[in-house]
Amino acid sequence: MLIFLLRRLVAGVLLLFVISTITYVLLYFSSDGIAQNILGEFATPEQIALKQAELGLDQPLPVRYLEWLGGAITGDFGRSWFTSEPVVSALFNRLPVTLTIVIGALVIAAVLAALLGVAAAIKRGWVDRAVQLLSLAGDALPSFVVAIVLVTSLAIQARIFPATGFVPFAENPTLWLMSIALPITALVFQLVAQAAQQFRSAIIDVRRRDFVRTLRSRGLSEREVVFKHVLRSAAPAALTILSLQFVGLLGGSVIIEQIFALPGVGPLAVLSTTQGDIPIVMGVVVYTVVMVIIVNLVVDLVNGWLNPKVRVS
Amino acid sequence: MKLRSRAALAAMLTTGALVLTGCGAGGGDAGGTPAPGASGGTLTLGSLVDVTSFDPAASHVGHYMQYYQPVYDTLILREPNGDLSPMLATDWEYDDTNTELTMNLRDDVTFSDGEKFDAEAVKANIEHFKAANGPQASTAASIEGVRVVDEDTAVIELSAPDPGILLYMAASAGFMGSPAALDTEGIIADPVGSGPYELDVAATVTGATYTYTKRDDYWNPDLQKFDKIVIKSMQDVTARVNALVSGQINAGLLDAKTAVQGEGAGLTEITNPVDWQGLFLFDRAGSQAEPLGDVRVRQAINYAIDRQSLLDSLLLGNGEITSQITGTASAGYVEELDGYYDFDPKKAKALLTDAGYPDGFEITLPVNSADTIINAAIVQQLADVGITATQVVIPSTDYRNEIFTGKYSLGYYGIFQGDPWVAINHHIGPNAAFNPLKYTDDESAALIKEVQAGDDDAAQALTEYITEEAWFAPFYRVNQLYFFDKTVTVENQLQQAVPSIYNYAPAA
Repeated sequence: MLIFLLRRLVAGVLLLFVISTITYVLLYFSSDGIAQNILGEFATPEQIALKQAELGLDQPLPVRYLEWLGGAITGDFGRSWFTSEPVVSALFNRLPVTLTIVIGALVIAAVLAALLGVAAAIKRGWVDRAVQLLSLAGDALPSFVVAIVLVTSLAIQARIFPATGFVPFAENPTLWLMSIALPITALVFQLVAQAAQQFRSAIIDVRRRDFVRTLRSRGLSEREVVFKHVLRSAAPAALTILSLQFVGLLGGSVIIEQIFALPGVGPLAVLSTTQGDIPIVMGVVVYTVVMVIIVNLVVDLVNGWLNPKVRVS
Repeated sequence: MKLRSRAALAAMLTTGALVLTGCGAGGGDAGGTPAPGASGGTLTLGSLVDVTSFDPAASHVGHYMQYYQPVYDTLILREPNGDLSPMLATDWEYDDTNTELTMNLRDDVTFSDGEKFDAEAVKANIEHFKAANGPQASTAASIEGVRVVDEDTAVIELSAPDPGILLYMAASAGFMGSPAALDTEGIIADPVGSGPYELDVAATVTGATYTYTKRDDYWNPDLQKFDKIVIKSMQDVTARVNALVSGQINAGLLDAKTAVQGEGAGLTEITNPVDWQGLFLFDRAGSQAEPLGDVRVRQAINYAIDRQSLLDSLLLGNGEITSQITGTASAGYVEELDGYYDFDPKKAKALLTDAGYPDGFEITLPVNSADTIINAAIVQQLADVGITATQVVIPSTDYRNEIFTGKYSLGYYGIFQGDPWVAINHHIGPNAAFNPLKYTDDESAALIKEVQAGDDDAAQALTEYITEEAWFAPFYRVNQLYFFDKTVTVENQLQQAVPSIYNYAPAA
């Protein structure tokens, strides 16, 4: 177990290094207009040159990269070129918001998908067809379309939920829940669609296996068979899908955060990329890679916990 | 452990994690905001931009003014109609050479850290503004220094007459911060000014919500119409319109498409023609694109554009077609010039033939990757008179930087309609950043000199000259569409994208 974790960690660090290097090089080649962006349209060439020297934009690529790397390894990602906010604090202030809606959406989607998948796989017939239709709809509807429908109906017309904004849990638990309800619902639709199908297929497949017949012949109730045993065997397939979707969500939540004006990582990523705020962009890239590594690791561990057969020794 | 309890444990852990993650972030308020009311209350605004630094030297104009005005006073106050009024300066006077501006200052103003506002503070602020190399630093380009005569008299020394200085003292260059805080790092997140409000740092989340609370010992209680001002940074227009119609913000800027929702929700709309949009014809000397050197060709381009259709289809009619780049409130405005060029492709072709291009010509046109519709329209309308435009697509994030480098002979852009001298410095004069090929000729140079000396007739003559010589091909003036609810009254601010903070008041 320990060796497994260690190997994954080393692989993760290597991945981080490779991706950050590639990103930095790509950003280097598009850093021409950054000083102008910071200073605005009235900047004189002298001002631009001054700014470029200040930010180190006139240095060669290896020098700039090593400087960044040196800081990053010690946890100092520098400051935003536009706001002077330390990159680490900028990210940490926004991470809770993004993680709340992403993890919330994933958990709810997993539970719903499991229930729908079980219903479709066991009941078959019209239930199965209904779930498949719902999945199709969920897959086809982009999350921002769902978001707009939800906002228009439940926030603007019905005034039940707030149309924008995020309330931290510590400030007001009820308002916190209200502020994340619509964003999470918008994201859940597409997630459930794919995961439900995975659960359904996996459950149908597992139920056909010999060990299930054995369990039934031992007198276990169908309910116990399905929820205690079959689901555990079927889980890995669906959880893998969900871990892939998590990666997609890191990007997909950006538009949701813009529509609901949530102070998450999404708007920061978009703004910093369009402006050329390299320290922030590098911070976002590193954070994204770290998230992916962690989630993949967690999913592998959870799969092993739920189903000893796929446990890595 | 059985699956049920394992699953239950997993569910509990996840919920716990969610709760904890929710604890970490700061936030704004959700749901409806308390109405301003007649005697105070909270004004909540939605802003298109986010403030990056509260250092007054980092301030930009336009949308950004709303972030700085609550905490910083300016030397001069610009009224909604553009007139200048006393603020931190009680009165001002030029000397005979127009290079020394004497400003008499208030003596009863203190900054929020207790420091006194005086002539030394003015000197410190202007020197800091110049040295900090911020986005508006060029507005102080003609300021050589500040001479402190006595505690409440400062003289601003100019290298040459600059008719824009009084306007700049009512904008970014005029924001006065406490000298003690100016060169510290803290001022970036925690402004220290003499303004009507103070930033409530605890209730502020960078990038989301900025809360300003009324300052007790402010020298002009008349300007404090609210107890609290909250500005929410909402770049996305969907978020803004949703927040407006659901009552989360009292006022905000919408665009042509979302304006319909604003009207449907019963909100009040005020329009402000801040920018003009159209083609900049950089290469008036024909150095890169020879045809453009002939005034008839440039005029032909003006006749080729169907301004009204573009306005109707792109901006849903929210604007006014024009042939001049000067705004209606500017001293250089000439009403007759609005319709100087009408839509006349035949005349365009005739002019091209006169100029020696009966079969038209080819030209390279840089286009903004985000403006697909207008690009197509321009290319089409030019093609209709024989001008073949080869498009060079530039990513929207690089567009502004690229087209003003001098590589291109023309380009589509939108720019504010400023006062004559401001416009000259910005896009007309030989050294203006938006005149990349540095075009100049004797007649315009002479007129520019007269404008610099303060001659308003010369400003009109300059507009006439530029329009007749077709330095540009303006399409229309664009209306900013500002919406607000029943709880406030708002007045637009001349030449500013959004109203100044001082222009809001609780509805009676």
